[in-house]
Amino acid sequence: MNWLEKMLPKLVLAPTTVAMIVCMYGFMIWTGALSMTRSRMLPQWEFVGFDQYVRLFQNPRWEVALNNLWIFGFLFIAISLVLGLVLAILLDQKIRGEGFIRTVYLYPMAISFIVTGTAWKWIMNPGLGLEKLMRDFGFETFEFRWLVDQEMAIYTIVIAAVWQSSGFVMAMFLAGLRGVDDSLIKASQIDGASAWQAYWHVILPILRPVFFSAVMILAHIAIKSFDLVQALTAGGPGYASDLPANFMYTYAFNRAQMGVGAASAVIMLFGVLAILVPYLYSELRSQRK
Amino acid sequence: MTSRAPINWGRWFIYATLLLFLLVYLTPLYVMLTTSFKDIEEIRSGNLMALPDSPTLAAWVKAWSSACTGSECEGLAPFFWNSVNIVVPAVIISTIIGALNGYVLAKWRFRGSDLLFGALLFGCFIPFQVILLPMARLLATLGLANTVSGLVLVHVIYGLAFTTLFFRNFYVSVPDELVKAAQLDGAGFFSIFRHVFLPLSLPIFTVTLIWQFTQIWNDFLFGVVYSGSGTQPITVALNNLVNTSVGGKEYNVDMAAALIAALPTLLVYVVAGKYFIRGLTAGSVKG
Amino acid sequence: MGALNIKDVTKSFGETDVLKGINIDIADGEFLILVGPSGCGKSTLMNIIAGLEHETSGDLDLEGESLSGRSPRDRDIAMVFQSYALYPTMNVARNISFGLEMRKVAKTEREKIVKEVSELLQIDHLLDRKPSQLSGGQRQRVAMGRALARSPKVFLFDEPLSNLDAKLRVEMRTEIKKLHKRLGTTIVYVTHDQIEAMTLANRIAVMKDGIIQQLGTPDEIYNDPANQFVAGFMGSPPMNFITAPVVDGQVVVDSEGQSFALSLPCDDSIREHAGEQVILGLRPEMITERKPVTEETWIHHLPMRFEVIEPMGADTMATGAWNGCDVHARLSPRAGKAAADGVFEVQVNTALAVAFDPNNGERIR
Repeated sequence: MNWLEKMLPKLVLAPTTVAMIVCMYGFMIWTGALSMTRSRMLPQWEFVGFDQYVRLFQNPRWEVALNNLWIFGFLFIAISLVLGLVLAILLDQKIRGEGFIRTVYLYPMAISFIVTGTAWKWIMNPGLGLEKLMRDFGFETFEFRWLVDQEMAIYTIVIAAVWQSSGFVMAMFLAGLRGVDDSLIKASQIDGASAWQAYWHVILPILRPVFFSAVMILAHIAIKSFDLVQALTAGGPGYASDLPANFMYTYAFNRAQMGVGAASAVIMLFGVLAILVPYLYSELRSQRK
Repeated sequence: MTSRAPINWGRWFIYATLLLFLLVYLTPLYVMLTTSFKDIEEIRSGNLMALPDSPTLAAWVKAWSSACTGSECEGLAPFFWNSVNIVVPAVIISTIIGALNGYVLAKWRFRGSDLLFGALLFGCFIPFQVILLPMARLLATLGLANTVSGLVLVHVIYGLAFTTLFFRNFYVSVPDELVKAAQLDGAGFFSIFRHVFLPLSLPIFTVTLIWQFTQIWNDFLFGVVYSGSGTQPITVALNNLVNTSVGGKEYNVDMAAALIAALPTLLVYVVAGKYFIRGLTAGSVKG
Repeated sequence: MGALNIKDVTKSFGETDVLKGINIDIADGEFLILVGPSGCGKSTLMNIIAGLEHETSGDLDLEGESLSGRSPRDRDIAMVFQSYALYPTMNVARNISFGLEMRKVAKTEREKIVKEVSELLQIDHLLDRKPSQLSGGQRQRVAMGRALARSPKVFLFDEPLSNLDAKLRVEMRTEIKKLHKRLGTTIVYVTHDQIEAMTLANRIAVMKDGIIQQLGTPDEIYNDPANQFVAGFMGSPPMNFITAPVVDGQVVVDSEGQSFALSLPCDDSIREHAGEQVILGLRPEMITERKPVTEETWIHHLPMRFEVIEPMGADTMATGAWNGCDVHARLSPRAGKAAADGVFEVQVNTALAVAFDPNNGERIR
């Protein structure tokens, strides 16, 4: 009886552990291995070293996707952070109806990226959307054709993504602000600081951990962005607004190029690790202090 | 909180800015709604912001029952039910397993259990692109390719990390002495869970259920990769519907369809929003 | 009935030895208190007795039967926790009867026991309430009720009163003492409060660093400490320790420029420390104002100048110095006022004075 009781906790965790080992770490290794093979439509275990990676990085579409990721990632994170922070600070000023406002700011996170993409696709519709609206308002020569513009398509994705996620950043900062000890503010006021200075010199530095968390989460969302692109631009026009996740899907499943697809997935993984590992490291370090 | 002096830009400026963003966030919803109630002529002649002249439900009916999603024209209805059939089991199963996992990790730790938790958490962060291909093989091997059950399995497996996290963090705050007292009272592993932990778990169950429901209902990636025609969830069907322009684009139908797809999670949000927010900030705000 | 024997119990966590060989024979019906600074291992020992942790080596016997390997539920031992550990979602009645429920006791029997126990502890009017609706003292009683309901052979109390305010603590202390008298069950009780220890215990085990420093009755612990740690730990205000040289076979203290040789009961052994230093231990109540005495043998008079005078109501604590060491005296309030200006003559009673070897803190007998 006793032995069973002792083993029970481990037995309970066993299925999840197996699932994790196989379906996360095992699969990652499998994909990594596949990326070094000749596979096209079906896995072919003929190893070709880093050939697929070479092909990948010589692929102009991948180059565009990576480029887009930088642009999108940077803008998405920066704008969401600023917007989220500003809104959080404003909401922290004892606003009437705060609960209602917060609810509205956050509802976009409850809907699918597909819905968001669909809605914004309509709003930014070249002939009938924003352009027509502005022209109807009197701006006769207003043009808004970003959706079908090779150069600007990626920025439409930024707009929709910021709309969807900035509320979340605001919620994080608001929670962080609420956690700041009031006595710090009072102390700084006694020291003669204006409200502005109090925020800039005292509160914001305390919010640093929230900044990092937010950046982490936003970066993660950016790298994984797939749904939004599919719905908003389908990677178009052409592949001008492709992101790595869309590239991977297209090549692995639509173009029967598993090897290349796997390679792109591995690169995405490394991208995430490149952000995650230093962050975790610094978290653990500061906890040990 | 009561003694913090507000920034003196003038309260009006603050309210104005907040109001502006209220409009910004609400506008897409407004546009979707108004467009869905217009007829195509109105859409072509009018603009985004105009209210419908004579609102009609025609687009909605079409979106639900006869719009084309690729080669079929059955509307979103069958796919709505697909999503339901995927979401309900996946949410329930992943939540229950997550609860038990969280219970073990919080109160029955053993050598390596923390490492396990860390590994599980780490797995949360990986881009799913690295498991898409092998998972497809696995589903094929299990005979679950392109099935609803296959999708349920996928969502359960990849939802475990989050559900475990939620429950573990919640149960950690239950005093250890409660477990000791129950042990002395003669309760075993499952008895303690049933009589002591479960009764106080309503808040976390709510958060987890809402979170999982939203995540799985809104998923597109797994849906598009692992479903076949007939077993697609509503997000995939929506995307197909919008991108299928048989005989010219019907924007009103598109919008109605998008709203239908968004309705369940929006409704849950409106009703139980604070639990959703709790779930969002549960693991992410370090404090 | 509830005789508990702890034999050579050790407990190590990896490299750290938390318990280094504990031996205690607790008689049936005895009230044993484990006392010591935090980290001394007393809570670990409790957990081992309860079966919540396993000893690394050694054995425990309850009524002659070994407990090793037995799960907590099979040990017939009940525990009252520092934080009460009441089940938050159950009402008082169920909290009390939960252990019986787990042991599949019949419902009617359970209700009977709950009634008896709750009447005994005067919480029978609270049976429907949840823990969050109870005051600290009431929760404490429910926790005790839960333990009582099981009629165990041994009660374990883990610092049960430390979360209560001072007044409530005194009340509950009396309750526990009455309960022990009434039920006669063996009790093992952990506290860091030595007043509780002195008032409640049949015997006290003073622990430090995983070792029992001394096991004895309150009187023995207080007046016959085994070493300097025990002497300094028990008693409030604490015993005075004065480093003093041994001259001509006696301990000598300097106060206000004059030297005084103090006679001690252990003078025979003191002589062996000729020319060395010893640590003289004298409790504050042994240093008072001049008072009439029946026997002069151990009485000495010294002048003292007091730096700090603290009136405490019934007495006044005064702090001065001998040999450069702080010395606390307990004076009457009137004497305390008089002692405030200039030099004051104190009366020192060394009948219960003790001495310690400065190298290892061991008692010089």
